[in-house]
Amino acid sequence: MNYPQPLEDLINEFMKYPGIGRKTAERYALYTVNKFDIAAAHDFASTIIAAKEKIIQCPICGHLTETNPCSICADTNRNQTIILIVESPKDVFTIEKSGKYHGLYHVLNGNLSPLNGIGPEELNLKTLWSRVQNEIIKEVIIATSATQEGEATAMYIKRVLKDIDLVVSRIAYGVPVGANLEYTDDLTLNLAIENRHKF
Amino acid sequence: MKIKTVALTNFRNYRKQIVTLGQGLNFIIGSNGEGKTNFLEALYVLSLVKSYKAADRDLILNGNGPSRIVATLETSTKTIELAVAFSETGKAASFNRQAVDRLSDYIGIMNVVLFTPEDMTLVKGGPADRRYFIDVVLGQVDKDYLYDLTQFKHALKQRNELLKQMQDKKINDLVVLEVITEQMADYGSKVIIKRKAFIEQLSKNASEMYRYLTSKDDTMVVKYAPSITNDYRQELKAKIATDLSSGTTNYGPHRDDIEWVLAGQTAKFYASQGEQRLIVLSVCMALCNYYAEIKSDRPIFLLDDVFSELDAEKQNRLIQYLLKSESQAIITATSLIEIADIYKQQAKIYHVFKGSIREEQQHGQS
Ligand SMILES: Nc1ncnc2c1ncn2[C@@H]1O[C@H](COP(=O)(O)OP(=O)(O)O)[C@@H](O)[C@H]1O
Ligand SMILES: [Mg+2]
Ligand SMILES: [Zn+2]
Repeated sequence: MNYPQPLEDLINEFMKYPGIGRKTAERYALYTVNKFDIAAAHDFASTIIAAKEKIIQCPICGHLTETNPCSICADTNRNQTIILIVESPKDVFTIEKSGKYHGLYHVLNGNLSPLNGIGPEELNLKTLWSRVQNEIIKEVIIATSATQEGEATAMYIKRVLKDIDLVVSRIAYGVPVGANLEYTDDLTLNLAIENRHKF
Repeated sequence: MKIKTVALTNFRNYRKQIVTLGQGLNFIIGSNGEGKTNFLEALYVLSLVKSYKAADRDLILNGNGPSRIVATLETSTKTIELAVAFSETGKAASFNRQAVDRLSDYIGIMNVVLFTPEDMTLVKGGPADRRYFIDVVLGQVDKDYLYDLTQFKHALKQRNELLKQMQDKKINDLVVLEVITEQMADYGSKVIIKRKAFIEQLSKNASEMYRYLTSKDDTMVVKYAPSITNDYRQELKAKIATDLSSGTTNYGPHRDDIEWVLAGQTAKFYASQGEQRLIVLSVCMALCNYYAEIKSDRPIFLLDDVFSELDAEKQNRLIQYLLKSESQAIITATSLIEIADIYKQQAKIYHVFKGSIREEQQHGQS
């Protein structure tokens, strides 16, 4: 027997999330219908809308923020001469939690991957090129993953920046090869940033 | 490493079977379709937790599981128990009755070298068959090789996709191509170096083995036929126009081959069936030596239907070699008619009939 249409619709919504297949989506949908009362359902729906309405991508660094620019870009106490380039907003949260880095960020929103149809145009690179024109920037640290895609992205950025008077360094991967920043503990992460090497 | 006893439950055409094996030669004799290959396959599966020729579900007796293989083995230092189980829902392995979390930790405990008639594709098949063979062997003993190869293949896919997109004018960024090309070349170069070294060593061992088996001065050598002989990075740069116009990567380890050369001639075209079989056998023996050197424990030979197309003299030389090497070998055959009595007396002989194996009590004609 098929699910009633509204339930089927909800299942399809959950399936839009990465890593969620039909089975999990069914469980979530059934749970929502069985366990949420109508007020909780309204809360859930409006929370999604509020998050979507209030969160923007910082026009400077690309990080997710409620304010324009984001609190990191707006913080004049931070080291304004250095930019750490990461793949995703998630990496910014991870590194900020470790509390040892005090420079600026730039979020690419992905890595180069022809197989996934991601070229330079699809990444948040245009704003990076204009940011580094500002003479106050002395160093960029590239902290993309040690995967094939992350390495390609790092090499690409380095190549484009080669004529600009700037130190370009790559995060030192004491991190197991092929690892994502997301799964790296604070200590290794701090070491990785401190031991970055010229690239 | 030697198998002492092995117990099969619901594996292929074996419902319940316990076999106590000898430490040296073990002959499994039977007519076609009785279960000889199935028995060797079980030992292979015990080692690698997958078959070399079938999907997991095909291993279960009439599809009614679970299917289990349990064995006690003797290494140079201790006795261990290995077990694998297959069911409709999946598979599992255990070491000394302790379930292992990751199969990759289990694979490699027991080492086997298998010869099957299908291995003849090593000579007769295409380059992809031969590359696969090299990659499996090297990958098993060298994790760095496996990593570089995986990265190379991934970068290659990216590059081919990019070349296609550039051909369709969807993208026109040469820097991206340069970057991915360099990456691919760096991984690819490491693959090439390791393949070259491995094939040189294999050739030395295998040609010695070939000479032993044939007792002739015929030389058999294995030659690496790489797609690229110069610096890979430079070669790719020099030939970029070809790649751009064809929309794919035309040079590199993915186009490598190896060549078997018998008395100066390419074996694929010149060697007889029997000679081709001897080549593959020599390679199996050479591999056994290769593993033994690296793992300091001799692997177990599994030789399926190895005697067909070999004359009596070569069959006996093979047996002589196996006895001398002190390896454990499990050998299937339809008959031992050509094997000398002195060798048979040093072996254990089993008869298989409709999925049931029985040891021959006294040594005699079979
Ligand atoms: N999963 C299975 N369940 C039951 N019988 C099987 C299964 N797989 C193969 N067989 C049977 O095993 C026999 C083949 O055994 P095999 O070991 O290949 O023979 P041979 O002695 O010629 O090497 C065939 O009769 C086949 O039907
Ligand atoms: Mg058979
Ligand atoms: Zn910002």
